[in-house]
This record gives sequence, C-alpha cells and structure tokens, in this order.
Amino acid sequence: MSPSRHARLLSHLTRSALVCGIALYTISPRGSLGDDALQLAAAPAKAEVEPAASLRLTFEHDVQPILTAAGCNAGACHGKQRGQNGFQLSLLGFDADFDYAAIVQEAQGRRVFPAAPQNSLLLRKAAADMPHGGGRRLDPAGPLYAVVRRWIAAGMPRRAADDPTLEGITLDRAEHVLVPGEQRPLRVTARFSDGSTRDVTGVTAFQSNEPAIVAVDEAGVIRAGDLAGEATVMARYMGEIATCATMIPLAGDVDRAIYDALPRWNFIDELVWNKLAQLGITPSPAVDDSTFLRRAYLDVIGRLPSADEARTFLADGDPDKRARLVDHLLERSEYADHWANKWVDLLRPNPYRVGIKATLSLDAWLRDAFRQNMPYDQMVRRLVTAEGSTWRNGAATLFRDRRQPDEIATMVSQLFLGVRLECAKCHHHPFEVWGQDDFYGLAAYFARVGRKGTGLSPPISGGEEIVLTVPSGTVKHGRTGEPVEPKPLFGQTPPCGPDEDPRDVLVDWMVADEEGYFAQVAANRIWAAIMGRGLVDPVDDLRATNPPTNAPLLEALAGELRRVEYDQKKLIRTIMASYVYQLSSLPGERNSADTRNYSRHYRQRLRAEVLLDAVCDVTGVPESFDAMPPDARAVELWTTRIGSLFLDAFGRPDPNQDPPCERIADSTVVQTLHMMNAPRIHEKVVSDSGRAAELATSERAPAEIAEELYLAAYARYPTDDERAAIVPLFGEDSASRRQATEDLMWALLNTPEFLFKD
Amino acid sequence: MSRYRNCEGVTRRNCLQLGLGMLGGSGMAQLLRMRAQASESAASSRPASCILIWMDGGPSHFETFDPKPEAPEEIRGELGTLATRIPGVHFSEHMPKLAAMTDKLAVIRSVRHDQGNHGAGNHYMMTGAPPRIPVGCGAFVSFHPSMGSVAAHELGAPEGLPAYFSMPSMSRSGGPNFLGAKYAPFVVGGDPNKDDFRVRDVALPSELSDERFLGRRDLRGVVDRFVRIADEAAADPAVALDEYYRQSYDLVTSPEAQRAFDITLESEAVRDSYGRNSFGQRALLARRLVEAGVPFVTLYDGGWDHHSEIFPAMRKRLPVFEGGIAALIEDLQQRGLLDSTLVVALGEFGRTPKISTLSGRNSPGRDHWANAMSILFAGCGTPGGQVVGATDRKGYAACERILSPENFASTVYRKLGIDPDKIYYTPNGRPVHLVSNPEPIAELMG
Repeated sequence: MSPSRHARLLSHLTRSALVCGIALYTISPRGSLGDDALQLAAAPAKAEVEPAASLRLTFEHDVQPILTAAGCNAGACHGKQRGQNGFQLSLLGFDADFDYAAIVQEAQGRRVFPAAPQNSLLLRKAAADMPHGGGRRLDPAGPLYAVVRRWIAAGMPRRAADDPTLEGITLDRAEHVLVPGEQRPLRVTARFSDGSTRDVTGVTAFQSNEPAIVAVDEAGVIRAGDLAGEATVMARYMGEIATCATMIPLAGDVDRAIYDALPRWNFIDELVWNKLAQLGITPSPAVDDSTFLRRAYLDVIGRLPSADEARTFLADGDPDKRARLVDHLLERSEYADHWANKWVDLLRPNPYRVGIKATLSLDAWLRDAFRQNMPYDQMVRRLVTAEGSTWRNGAATLFRDRRQPDEIATMVSQLFLGVRLECAKCHHHPFEVWGQDDFYGLAAYFARVGRKGTGLSPPISGGEEIVLTVPSGTVKHGRTGEPVEPKPLFGQTPPCGPDEDPRDVLVDWMVADEEGYFAQVAANRIWAAIMGRGLVDPVDDLRATNPPTNAPLLEALAGELRRVEYDQKKLIRTIMASYVYQLSSLPGERNSADTRNYSRHYRQRLRAEVLLDAVCDVTGVPESFDAMPPDARAVELWTTRIGSLFLDAFGRPDPNQDPPCERIADSTVVQTLHMMNAPRIHEKVVSDSGRAAELATSERAPAEIAEELYLAAYARYPTDDERAAIVPLFGEDSASRRQATEDLMWALLNTPEFLFKD
Repeated sequence: MSRYRNCEGVTRRNCLQLGLGMLGGSGMAQLLRMRAQASESAASSRPASCILIWMDGGPSHFETFDPKPEAPEEIRGELGTLATRIPGVHFSEHMPKLAAMTDKLAVIRSVRHDQGNHGAGNHYMMTGAPPRIPVGCGAFVSFHPSMGSVAAHELGAPEGLPAYFSMPSMSRSGGPNFLGAKYAPFVVGGDPNKDDFRVRDVALPSELSDERFLGRRDLRGVVDRFVRIADEAAADPAVALDEYYRQSYDLVTSPEAQRAFDITLESEAVRDSYGRNSFGQRALLARRLVEAGVPFVTLYDGGWDHHSEIFPAMRKRLPVFEGGIAALIEDLQQRGLLDSTLVVALGEFGRTPKISTLSGRNSPGRDHWANAMSILFAGCGTPGGQVVGATDRKGYAACERILSPENFASTVYRKLGIDPDKIYYTPNGRPVHLVSNPEPIAELMG
C-alpha cells in the first residue's frame, strides 16, 4: 500500500473520529494533520499508538468499506456466487448481515479470534501471513489492518440500530475540463442520516469509462491523456455511486463565427453544434446527392435504390428533393419489415423452447405493428400487458418464453427503460443504485400473470398457451424470502385492486415517464439505428455511470418523441431532416478522431439481411429460403432456424444463445471470403437469368452496362476515369461481354463502397 | 475423377505461383513455410492445437472404453471385450486398433455430472460450465463460451485462416456466447469422402479460372474508389476491411494455404488408413488444418444416442470410428505433431447400465446416464498407457477418482496453454471465470 493511501485512510479515520467528537489517536499535534498522517504512515511503529478507548468501530461503517477497498468481496474473489475456497461475502458488501455471519459465525469461528486478534484467519489470510490465493491485501503495518484488528479485539461490534445510516456520497466537482497531461485529485464525501459527513476518498473505488482519455488511479487522482475527448469517472463507496464528467477540448481555438455560420435546420443541429463548440471540433461538409440517396434508402427501408430510382433522383432539380425522398421512403411498405427487424432481434424467442408457431405469431405481430405505424407507447403497452392465445396474439408469446416474473421484469426494464436490472436479482448492482428491493418490486407487477393450455415441451413445444391475469400471486424476495409488493423503480404507483391487472398499473407508470427513461431509450434506439452510434451506448444501458454523449440532445429527442405521441416515423423524419444527418463521413482537420459527437457520419457495414437482399437486387437473382415463399427477402425471415450461410457469416442474433441479441458490425475474413468465393454468390453473378446475363445480351454499349451496374450497387454514375478503365475490358463477342459484365459485378460487390453505408 | 479437381491441373498451379509473385511475396505462405520448418526442427515448440471429436448423443461407456464383462447379462450386453496393452484393461471387442495402441492413449473412466439430457450435457462438456437454467433435450443453448471459441480468442489463427473449425456442423453449445460472433466456429459442411468436396469459400468457384480471378482482383482495384480515413482514431471500418481482403487474397492465391484444405494431396495409402468414409476423411482434413496452424478443430460425429439397436449399431460404427481416430493419432505422431496436438473424444454422457427397450422400440438400447462416462485423451504431452478413475463393478457410477466436466475442460485449456482460472468480463461487466474449478486432471498433465 502506498504511503499516500495510508495517509488518506488515516485522514478518513481521523475525520470519522471527529464526527463522533472524540480523538482517534493520542498523537501530539505538530504541524498540520496531513504532515502527521504522512509521518505516521512512514513510521509504522508510531501508528501502533492505541486509540482512545471510547472509540467504537462498527462492522458496517469501518470494516465493510475496507473489505470492499481491498477487493475481498469483488466479483472475481469471495464476492462471487459460491465464494472462494469456502469463504463467501456478498458482492461489494451489499448484505451486511450475510457478511457478518460469514466472518464471525462460520468456519467454527476461526475467522476471528478476539483474544488474539492477529491470529484471526481473516487477518492472517489478508496479510498473506498464511497462504492466500489473493495474495497480500492488507499491510500488517498499515492502518487498514489496524482497524480490522481493533474491531476484532473489541468483540466485532455491529452498527447500533440508532446509528446514523449512509445516505449517499458526493464528489467535490461534477465537471472537470482538463488539458492533456493534467492531474487532479478527486475528493469523496459520505453523507449520513444525522447530517454528518465523512471524507471517504481513501476507501472509495474509482473507475473511468474511457481510461485512454482520462484515467483515474486507486487514490482518486484523475489524469488526462494526450487525446482530446471525454470520460466519466465513477466513485463507488458501499453501494453508493457518484460520477463526474471530464473533458479535454481539442487544442487550439476555433473562431466562434464558424459555428454561428453552420446551418440550423432543426433543434438537432443547434444541440450538436453546441457540443462541438465545447470540444473545439468542427463538422464535415454535407454529402452529395448519391451518398444521401443511398444512405436514406438504407436507413428507412433497408434496401438499395434501383438503378432507375437513382437516375430519377439524381436528375431531379427540385432543391427540396431530399426531404421529399425521406417522406416518400417512410410510406414504402419495406419500412415495416426493416424496422420490425430491429425489434425482432430483441424479442425473438428460441423456437426450440416456445415452439415454431408461437415464434411465428410474435414475428407477425411485430411486423404488423410497424406496418400500422403503431405508436411506440401503445406497442409497449400491448406487449407488456399481452393476454390471450400465443397462436392468435403474438405479443403473448413473450410470456410463454419468459415464464417467471423476474425473467420478464429484467427484459421490460432493459428494453423499455434502459435499466439493466439483472445484476440486482442476486446482488446490489455494482455500478448503479439498483438493489434487490428494486428488482423484486418490479418483478411483483408480473406476479399475477397466469397461463392455461399446453406449456413448454422442448424441442417441439408445439402447443397453444393462453396468457391471462389471475386473481392472486406473489413474488418472493431473493434474499429474505418475504413476499414483495409491486413497487416501481422510482416514484409511486396507485394500489392495484384484485380486478385490475398490475401490468396495466406498471405500463401507466412507465409511460407517464417521470424520469424520462421511457422516451429516452426509445429515442436513443432510433437515433442509433440512423446515426451509427447511440447517444447512449449500448443503447439500452441508461445510467449515471454511462451518460449520454450529448444529454441535451437526448432529452430533446425524447421530448420530440413525446410531442409526436410516439409516432416513430415522425421522429425518423425529424432526425433525417437535420443538417447533421447529411454530414459526410470524411473528416476534416478538426474532427477525424470524433466517433461519438456526430460531427461526421459514421460508416456502418450493412446488416446481414440488408446486405444479402442488396446482393440479390444487384445480381437480379433472389435467394431461395426454406419455409418462405419464393422471392422472399432476407429481411422477412421469421426464425433463425431458416438456414443461411450468408447470414451466419455476417452475423444474426441467435436466440439459442443467452443473451441472444448479438449483432456484430465487424468485418471478418470469413465474410470477405464468402463475398469473394461463396458458390451461392458466384451462381447469382453468372446466372443466365440474372442481371449480368441480361445486360450482356442487351444492345447496351459497355459504358451503359457499367453505368447500370454502378447505379444499382453504388447509386452513382461511374466517373470518366472509371468508364475509361472499364470499357476496354469488353470485347466484341458475346462471351467476352458476358464475362466482363460478370467480373465488373463481382468487383463492385467486393468493395467497401458496396458493403458499407457511407 | 481427377485428383486435381480443386486445382484444375498444372496450369492453375503455375498461374497461382505467378499470382503469388505478383503479390510481392505472401505473408501467409512465408508463415506456413516457417511453421513447417519449425515443426521439423523442434516439434515441441509448436503452439498447441486440439482436435475434439464430439460423439453426439452420448456414447455408451460399456460398449467402448469401460466394458463390464463380469456384470450380469442385462448389463454387460452382447459385445465381447479385448485386452489392451495395459494389463487388466479391456476395451470393446470392436476397437482392436485403439486397444493395440493404448501406450499412446489415456482413458478417463470417471467423469460424472448431473445433466441427463442432450442440450444440457452438450453445454456442460463443450463449455465446462453447467447450463444456468434447466434446459430440455432438444435445446440448443449457450450460456458460456465453448472451448473452441475460447481457444480462438486466446490463441488466434495463422493469418487468413479461421481459428476454430467445426465439421460438418456446429455442436449445439459450440458457440462463442459473449465473446462474440468473431469467435464462432467456421463450419465446413459437406463430405470430404466425396470426389467433389471442397472447403467452402476458401477455394475459387470451380469454373472460375485463375486468370479470370486475377483479372477480377485487378478490376476491383480499379473500381474501389472509396476514400479511406487514414487517421487511426477515426476507426474507419473500411480500413479494417482492406486487411481482411488482403488476407483473403493471400489465402486463395497461396498454394501452401490451399494445400491445408486439400486432402486429395494425401497419398492413397494415407487416405485409406483413415478409412474411406466421411468421418475418417474429416479427421484427415483436421490433421491438415492443425498442420497449418489452426488451434481448434471440432469433428462433430452424430448418431451415438442408442436408445435402441445399440448392438448392431455399435458393431457397424465402432470400426469406422476407431479406425479414424487410430489413424489420426498414428499420423500425427509420424509427422511429429502429436506432441503439440491434443486429441479428445467424448459425448454428452455415458449410458444406462441396464439394457432397456423403450416403449415403441423393438430392440434394446441404453438410455442417458450422466453418472459415468469415458473420455479418450491422446497427445500434447498426455502420458499414455493409463486409465484414470473407475466406475463400480456394474458401471453405474464413477467411484474412484471422481472428476467433473470442469476438470475435463481445465485439462484441455491447460494443454492449450490457456489459464482456466482466467477471468473474462461479459459485456455487462460481470466477471466470469473461464472454468469455475480450474483444477486439471493431474494424471494427464505429465
């Protein structure tokens, strides 16, 4: 342990003693407190000075923070589910009763030995005086060790019922603007129910979400790296969390007039420019018509514009044509399948578990919801309160798949509130305020979900099940075993009568959206799908320790979604009507490192289904899927049991995996090999009924063939250079024309300009 | 059929060499050459690989590595036994080749667990972790990364090659779970015993000439005008894609790389020794992949779920199965690869001691039984000539040196140089031990 750590701990102890109005150590006052502390740390013998007899150490206030600070109760050590080598503590000390019993009562009392505290197993292991897998966690000469030793000697006292309780912690500042290389110490203060405070910096754990930008050490000193950027630093003390935002603006001044001159087409632009100005970043210019066209098609309907559609748009002289295009696309039928697909990713159950028919009915339900443009709040209400047959109401399949209140509660809170509660099922959430009471309180809204009919019988599970609300049912607390009343995560809900469905009460509370979570997570999902990265990332993980990159923008988007009464198309239109949406992906001087503030568009590889459909469209040869009608598109597939090597190579969520919602955006060698050589793709390129054959046998000149293929794959005309390089490849005879057309098609399909949305 | 159907004769090879020269020297080719040289000079310095033979369905321990000839008739079954080179140890009478090479083998007879259905048993043995919730027989579940995905993650692959192969299909829980799809197995379907077999995507479509492929490559260079963002901080995915295309070209144009996939380059004698059947030829392909530096290959062998007709089925299957494995081990040894290649064969569980005839079935079989199972180990420093643990006299339960799937998985990881006590973090930030009990089976560690 570093001397500074000793000093800080000592200062912590001293302060706590001062809070209690007693002297901690009988040290002679000489110089400042800090000097004394340092001296004591440097000379361990002196730290052995006996404390005042009246000082009462307690397990909760003094020992548990040390167990956490020393890492004893970490998830990888004694805090894991079955403990480590027979010694188990609650994760990060959330359960004082459990930990006290483990230390004082278990193992025949060998862990503590008040008559000779230094012989306690707890201390001998922690000091590595005995073999200890975790090594030395406490320095026997240090003050942390001394506190535990004195606590044991005092007979292991616990907190008295009327002692003040910890109410929260505070960081001395909420924001830090730093220059590269700058260091700054943080200070953490704990607040107690009697109004007292304590400096707990020395026994607080710190973490940065972007250590490369701003790192934080165990002493709570933040250190700016070399790069401009932002990071959030979290402090955690006994289940309480505090965060501060840190920022390193880009070096050099930017003339304010540059920002003032930027277009402001709607509120999005203003809020993005504000953030860029803070960071000293300047945005990229807007894209040309071709890039906009391809981007908009892919975003709204998940397909490429046809060659003819591209020609028409590019020839259109109307200055308003981009906005008109977006309006037109939102009315196209492909919109529903493309956007429903994003929800199918999240909700699709394992067909081996719930059965094929229930899987199909949920899939159809979601597509129908998007076809009708069902307002988002209504969609959520119908899902969360679903009743009836899993064969007739696809939404009810959720309750066939998730059978326990705790399973459905975690899903509902993550998807619709952006709150990840699953940690809190078994232990206090390590990065958040949520605990087991919150978890079981939310689960209790689902206690009265009943089922009739045929339950699960994997792997076929073919039966029909009816979901309904039954008059009674309870959820028991995971730790205490006591029945738990429904309780929302914050605020209150009205009591629920026996004739009412508690799920209705829950959805009323969710949609009322006091804290803004409901609309924010929905708006963030839509923003992320279009802009390539969520304002909060991952999109459904809203918490203080994972703040949005632009909080005012997220709030404004959420407000807009509420204003348009959760009409998702309207929010999509608003986002796409911003100038920010039209920015080029290519950076300028002052934004190449920006990957989160939308100063440029972020390139995305096309999703597996979109890409496969694009390959089919460009080659003119549809895919043939099992269990689907002829000419079905990949985006219409209703189960991952429909085999496709292409979709597997490019990644699709597999509901057999838990968690299932994995969508990889990466490229891999497997993917590039597949695009280059896969027999199915080769067949499409050389098919006699495909586009290459049709073009080659037509009357078109080589330049026209190239133009057609460029428009179909890239939504742009070839440049003069490209034409000049391509035309000579075409010979006079038909075989040569055919081969040149096929080769050009293959080459276009194998470029990033095809594989990415730019 | 020509032996060169994948290569279209000499023209192709000349052309590919030309292509190789045009690439200005292939990293892949050099790497493979270096690996080949390294393996000749110092076999033990080769990085470790694993060939996992998955006997899907749960093979009977009675009819394979743990026969009970002294047990009553309703337990011992119809098959006889054969003495091995280990005094007192017998195998099934239909495994003469393995019985004759037990000096190279170690058999574990005492792994047991508590998951009696296929979905759960597969998960436990493929990942070393029990399923988190009860799952059914038909379940395809994954709560934890499979050994193959972990090996891919930890050990990487020779450039351009996938790190984890599964042939001819993926085993149920053989996926990557939270490690991400990048570490999913590269599935090579098809039957390598057929003349038209080719490893998907790594070879050019058969009617495409080399000249034409190289022409396409040049043409791609012409049409690829997409501007790359040079600044690394921009994390341009198009830049990463370039690297994957480079590796793919290397793989397709490098004769050495192509050879890794081409079992037709083996002599007829070698091909015959593995058995002219799909399992044997797949085992041969696995050896070639390991030779090329692939760290993990799963050979999925279905149909070991013998609820009925167990005896005729075993008589038919065992020779194919043991012939392929015996040839694989011999071949690895002759090439100096056995010291760095772990071969394991197992299924989900063992089978019931009492022979039963389920309702609706006409002939006897054995049912699922997780209280005992046998696992075959060879190579990678595994001391041969030993049997670890034992079941009771009637084969009901492991009774000596009782071991868990965790011990099994930890042994595989240790042999591959991976610490089974390693902690991974899931995307949610939850710490997960690779194996909850990181104790390998000491007898196998040498």
